[in-house]
Parts: sequence; structure tokens; C-alpha cells
Amino acid sequence: MQSVSDVQLNDADVQRAEELFQQQVRARHGSADRMFAVLMIAQWIFGVILALLVSPYAWAGKVREFHPHLYAAVFMGAGLAAFPVALALLRPGRVSTRHVMVASQMLWSALFIHLTGGRIETHFHVFGSLAFVAFYFDWKVLLTATAVVAGDHLLRGMLYPESVYGIANPEWWRFLEHAGWVVFEDVVLAWSCVIGLKEMKGIAFRQAEVEALKEREEAKSAALEMVLRELQPSPAA
Amino acid sequence: MKPLHRWVLALAACTWVAAVGVGFTLLARYSTDAGASAAAPQVWPLDSRMAPPDGHYRLVMTLHPNCPCSRASVVELNNLMSLLRRDNVRGSVLVVKPAEFPDAWIDTESVRNARRIDGVDVLVDVDGVESARLGAQTSGQVLLYGPDRQLRFAGGLTPDRGHQGDSPGRQRIVSLIKNGKADARESLVFGCPLGVTVCPRPTAPAGKGL
Repeated sequence: MQSVSDVQLNDADVQRAEELFQQQVRARHGSADRMFAVLMIAQWIFGVILALLVSPYAWAGKVREFHPHLYAAVFMGAGLAAFPVALALLRPGRVSTRHVMVASQMLWSALFIHLTGGRIETHFHVFGSLAFVAFYFDWKVLLTATAVVAGDHLLRGMLYPESVYGIANPEWWRFLEHAGWVVFEDVVLAWSCVIGLKEMKGIAFRQAEVEALKEREEAKSAALEMVLRELQPSPAA
Repeated sequence: MKPLHRWVLALAACTWVAAVGVGFTLLARYSTDAGASAAAPQVWPLDSRMAPPDGHYRLVMTLHPNCPCSRASVVELNNLMSLLRRDNVRGSVLVVKPAEFPDAWIDTESVRNARRIDGVDVLVDVDGVESARLGAQTSGQVLLYGPDRQLRFAGGLTPDRGHQGDSPGRQRIVSLIKNGKADARESLVFGCPLGVTVCPRPTAPAGKGL
């Protein structure tokens, strides 16, 4: 009996392998979109709880009112989550969906950093989010994520440098230092995406080989049965 | 995708980007919206209930106990006092409390953290009398008086609202104490209004003293 490794794939089999590969990639993208959609909603709830715990009220002497951070958590959080979640439900697996999703995820980092007053530990959300983005196995979305982080730093470095660097006159290239650490992680994650896709393709080809082998064995069995039937003496003889 | 759907998607995306941009702009504006600066007396007020800074530097911070932004100011005060622990600096935190409010109102994380700072005394400033005497109007306001009782610095210790980290205020205070000079003697203060009434200080006509 033939083994999988002995199977020669014809053009139809190669096409089948490509189809299987694309199906797996789309399924991966859709699955990652759903994961991020759940994460968006969880982050929104977390953001509101965070604002309630850290800064529920702003005071002026004896008088208090709801803190702007609470409004930001509720309304901005809803805004950051709503569009990506809608895309995940209506257009899962599409290119535009995942780019919007990762852009929103990086903006969540910016919102959390605001809500926690620039707390150093909150910046870890940036690097954790990049790792989540790699779930898409699409290195191009890492570019979108990096662009959002670099753009935020560039803009705030120009308009409110103290909020990023603690000093009013940072060197012009400081934002590159921050973005550089992001790029460092990007390089490794992009490599892992490429390797991941290569493995998926290998799996798809092996699956196509198994299907081809099964098809040929079934064809052989059918042909053998037909011959055996013809060879059997007829009851009348 | 049908052309109409493509247009709808593009319009939705643009609207989303614009809305998010407006949201972050408003948030950034709030974060960098400074409070009222102190109209601090140039000389340590004689009627202050705190001991005058004779022979040492006195760093005073006014604090609204429930101001969320001042949490970061207290953290930065701790960092600053660590940097200056060998420089003969004594710190005081004036916690403003309306007389009719209970003591529990000032039992907050900011006040507890302030009590833990080495070299800092925490004083309850009922109705903000002492803070008003020093001309402070905003929580997180820091005043530095020298051994000669002269005002050396008036400003805040955070780069913006509730934001920990290095700041122009911290750099200037350290420079003033260690080097005797700085690029400026004030910085922006970010915090909640204390709700105290501060009388504007009369300005002397040119060539005449008070």
C-alpha cells in the first residue's frame, strides 16, 4: 500500500492544497477576530471599573462631580469597542476587519494609560497587545499596530511632550526610542507569523496528499471489486 | 463587495477615526489643563502655624485628600524627598478639610501615602486656612522656601494631571537645592481646586516696597 510520502500530487491536488490552506487562514482570521471582539468588550468593562476605582470623582473644594476619566471610560471605551466588534460580527476574516481591530487594540493601550495616570505598568499593555495581534498570523497588521503607537508618540511628543517624556524639550528622535522597542518585538512576532503560515501550508498539503491517496485507494478498490464480480461464475453455468 | 457597501464601510471607518480622534484630543486637553497657580508670599508668612524654615529648606504641598490627580503628586513628593534626603529639606503636606466634614473624609490613599514619606509631616488644614495663607489654590501645589525664609519655587510635581514620572517641577526643585539655580522658579500645577479663598497679593508700584 502506498504511504502518504509516495503520493505524487497532480495540478488538481495542488489546487486542493491551496484551497485547504486558504480555508485554514480564513478560519484563523475569523477566530482571531472573534477573540478580539470578546477582548474589546472585556476591556470596556475593565476600563469602566478601573475609572470607578481610580478616579470616580473630580473635586472642587467640597463639591464633587463625575470625573472626566469616567466619561472617557464609558463613552470612549464604547467607541473603541463598537466599530471593531461590529466588523467582527458582520465581516469576520476580512483584511479591513483585522486592521481596524489592531488599531483599536493599540488605542485601548493609550486609553488605559490615560486612566491610570501614565502608570509605568500600564505600558505593558502595549507589548501584550502586540503578542495578541500575532494571533492573526498576518505580519501586515503588526505594521498597523506599530504605526498607531508611533503616531501617538509622535503627536503627543510634539503637542504635549511632558505627557510622554516628562520634560518639555525632548530630543526630536525620542519617539523613535519608544517605537524602537515596539519594532524589536515586531520583528520576532512577524517571523513567528511567517513560520506559522508555513506550518499551516505544510499541514494543508499533507491533508491534500491524504485526500489524494484515499481517493486513489478507493478508486483501486472499486476497480478490483468490479473485476472480481466479472470473474465470478454466473449461477446459470 | 458592492460599491455601495464599500462607501458605507469607508464612511463608517472615517467617522470612527474622527470620533476617536476627538475623544483623545479632549482627554489630552483635560490632562494638560493646569490648575490655578499659587499667589504665594515671597517671604514665609509670619502668621503661619507651621514652624518657619530657619536653617533648612521647607517644602510644603497642599493636598485635597480626594483629588485623584494628587495621588501622583504624592508619589512624586516621595521620589523628590528621596532625592533630597541629604539636603536638609523638611516637608509638610497640608491636607485641606472643611470643618463640617468628618475625619474619615481625609482618610484616603493619598493621605496615607503622604504619612509614609520620610521627612514629611502631614497636617490637617481645617477650612484651608494655612493653604490660603500660602496663596495655594490647587491640590498638589508645592512651595519651596529657603533657609532665609525666601520663596524659591512655586509649582507642581507632575508633568500633567495625575501622571507620575519626571517633570519640570521636580527638576527645578532639585536644581535649586543642589545648585542654587534653575531655568525657572515655577511650573504648572495639576490638581483639583482646594476651594479656599485666597486674597490676591497687592503688587507694589515700581520703586516702592509693601
